[in-house]
Amino acid sequence: MSEIMLSVDSLTVKYGEMTAVDNVSMIIHKGEMVSVLGPNSSGKTTLMNTIAGLNSPCGGEISLEGRSLNGLSSDKIVELGVSLVPQGGRCFSRMSVFDNLMVGSYSKRSRRSAKSSLDRVYELFPVLYEKRSQPAGSLSGGQRQMVAIGRALMSCPRLLLFDELSLGLAPVVIKDIYSAIKHISREEDTAIVMVEQDTKRAMKMTDRTYIMLKGNVVLEGRPAELSDDAVKKAYFGS
Amino acid sequence: MMKKIKGHIQEAVLLLLFISCLLPWCMGILSNNAMRYMIRIFLYITIGEMWNLMSGYAGMTSLGQQAFIGLAGYSMAVATTVYKLHYAVGLAAGAAVSLCTAALLALLLMRMKGMYFAITTWVAAEALGTFFTGWRYVNQGAGMNITIVPYPRTGELYPAALILCAVALASTILLLRSSLGLGLTAMRDDASAAASLGVNVGRNKLIVYLIAALFTSLAGAVFFINKGTIYPDSGFSISWTISVVFIVIIGGIGTVEGPVVGSVVYVLLYEYLAHYPGWSNIILGVFSILVILFMPKGIVGFVSGKQHRSLIIR
Repeated sequence: MSEIMLSVDSLTVKYGEMTAVDNVSMIIHKGEMVSVLGPNSSGKTTLMNTIAGLNSPCGGEISLEGRSLNGLSSDKIVELGVSLVPQGGRCFSRMSVFDNLMVGSYSKRSRRSAKSSLDRVYELFPVLYEKRSQPAGSLSGGQRQMVAIGRALMSCPRLLLFDELSLGLAPVVIKDIYSAIKHISREEDTAIVMVEQDTKRAMKMTDRTYIMLKGNVVLEGRPAELSDDAVKKAYFGS
Repeated sequence: MMKKIKGHIQEAVLLLLFISCLLPWCMGILSNNAMRYMIRIFLYITIGEMWNLMSGYAGMTSLGQQAFIGLAGYSMAVATTVYKLHYAVGLAAGAAVSLCTAALLALLLMRMKGMYFAITTWVAAEALGTFFTGWRYVNQGAGMNITIVPYPRTGELYPAALILCAVALASTILLLRSSLGLGLTAMRDDASAAASLGVNVGRNKLIVYLIAALFTSLAGAVFFINKGTIYPDSGFSISWTISVVFIVIIGGIGTVEGPVVGSVVYVLLYEYLAHYPGWSNIILGVFSILVILFMPKGIVGFVSGKQHRSLIIR
C-alpha cells in the first residue's frame, strides 16, 4: 500500500499502576480506513486519546509521517493534522452549532480555510445548517454526533480518529453517519481510524482491522481474510 | 445574523447603563450615600466578572481572589500613607504587586485542577492574611489608617470605579469575542473536548488568571481608598469569595450579564438586610438556595432561556 501516515510502536500507557495499553503497535497508511475493535476496557479509547495527545504514554513511540508526536501537547498535534471525535461526541452544549464548528477550526493551519470547510460540513450534514444558531445541547443524539464529526472536519484533518461513533444511536442514524464517513474517506483522502463495538458493520466498511483485548492487539488483518472463529476467539480471549 | 444583532443589543444596553451612571454624576445630583452604594456595585461587578471569567469559562474556581484584593489594598495604603505618593501611584503599585504574585502562584496553580486549584488559592490567601497579621511594617493585626493628602472625595472615586468597571466589562466582552474567547467558551462547556480540537487550554488559563488578578486588585485598591482603613481581616477575608460566588451564581454563571445583575441584587439586598442584624445572613442564604433550586442558571440564564424559546424561529 501507499505511504505510512501514522505509526504506533510498542506503545504502553498506564493510569497509575493500571496498564491500559500494553505494548501496542499499529500502522495506518495514507487514505486508509482502519477499525479498532474489542470489548470494553480493552484500551481502545486510551489508545485514541494518547494518539491525540490527551494522555501521555509511558513507553513506546507514536509518529505521524515519520515525525514523533511524543511529548507534543494536543494543540500541536491538531496543528499537524490529527483530529479526534471523542466518545459520546462531547459537544459544547451551551454554544450554538455554528460556534461548535468554529472551535473545530481553532488551529492556525485550518483557520484560513474555515469558510470553505464550513460549507463542506453543511453540505455533508444539511440539518446542521438548519440548526446552526441553536445551542448544540438542544439537538438529538445523532445530530450532536454530526456536530462532533463536522467539528473535527473543520480542522482539515489528514488523520481522523472516531471513538465509538455508534454508541447510543438509533440504527437508522448510524447508517447515515457511516455513509457520511465513507464519503469523507473517499473525497478527502483522509486516513480514518474507527474504534467500534459494532464489529460486523465496522469490519464491513474498513480496509483493515485490529482487535484489542486487555490492552493488547490480539488479531490484525483484512476483514475478508479473518474467519469468524478467529474474530470470536480474539474477542473473548479463549 | 441573529448572533450579530444579539451582540449589538448587549453592547447597546451596557453603553446605556454606563451613560445612565455617568450622567447623574456629571449633573451632580447624586448624594454621597447613593454614590457609595454605586461604587460598591461597580467594584463587585469588576470582581464578579473576573471570577466568572475564571470559574464560569476557564474552569478555574478560585476561593482566593481576596489575596489580590488584600495585596493591592495594602500596597496602595503603604504607597500613599508611608511614602506620601499620589493614590494613582498606589493603584499602580497594587496592580504590579498583585500581577507579580499571580505570576509566581501561577507556577503552582497552572498544574492543578478543580478542588486542588480551589484549595490552593484559598490557602495562599489565608497565608498572606496571616503574614500581614504578624508584619510590624503594616501595623500587624491593628491595620492601617489610610492617609492621602488630599483625600479623594466620594465624588472623585465614583468615576474611577465606574471607569474601572466599564473597562473590565469591555475587556471581558472583547476577550470572549476574540478567538481566545471562542476557546474559552468551549472550555466552559467541555475542557477536554476543547483540548482535543487544538485549544491551548493551559495558555488560555494563564492569560485569564493574570487578567483576573489585574482587575481584581484594582477593584480592591479602590475599595480600600473608599473605606479609609485596611486590616488583614478585611483585606484577605474569605467573605470576599463568598460574596462573589453569591453574585455570580445568582446572576448567572458563564454569562457576561450575570455578575452585573448579581452585584446589583447583592448590594441592594445587603444594604436592606443591614436593618435586620442576625437575620441578614439567614435571609441571604435562603435567597440563594431558592435561586439555585428554581433558577439553576441564575437570573440571566432564566430570563434568556425564556427568551430563547420565543426567538427560536429566525
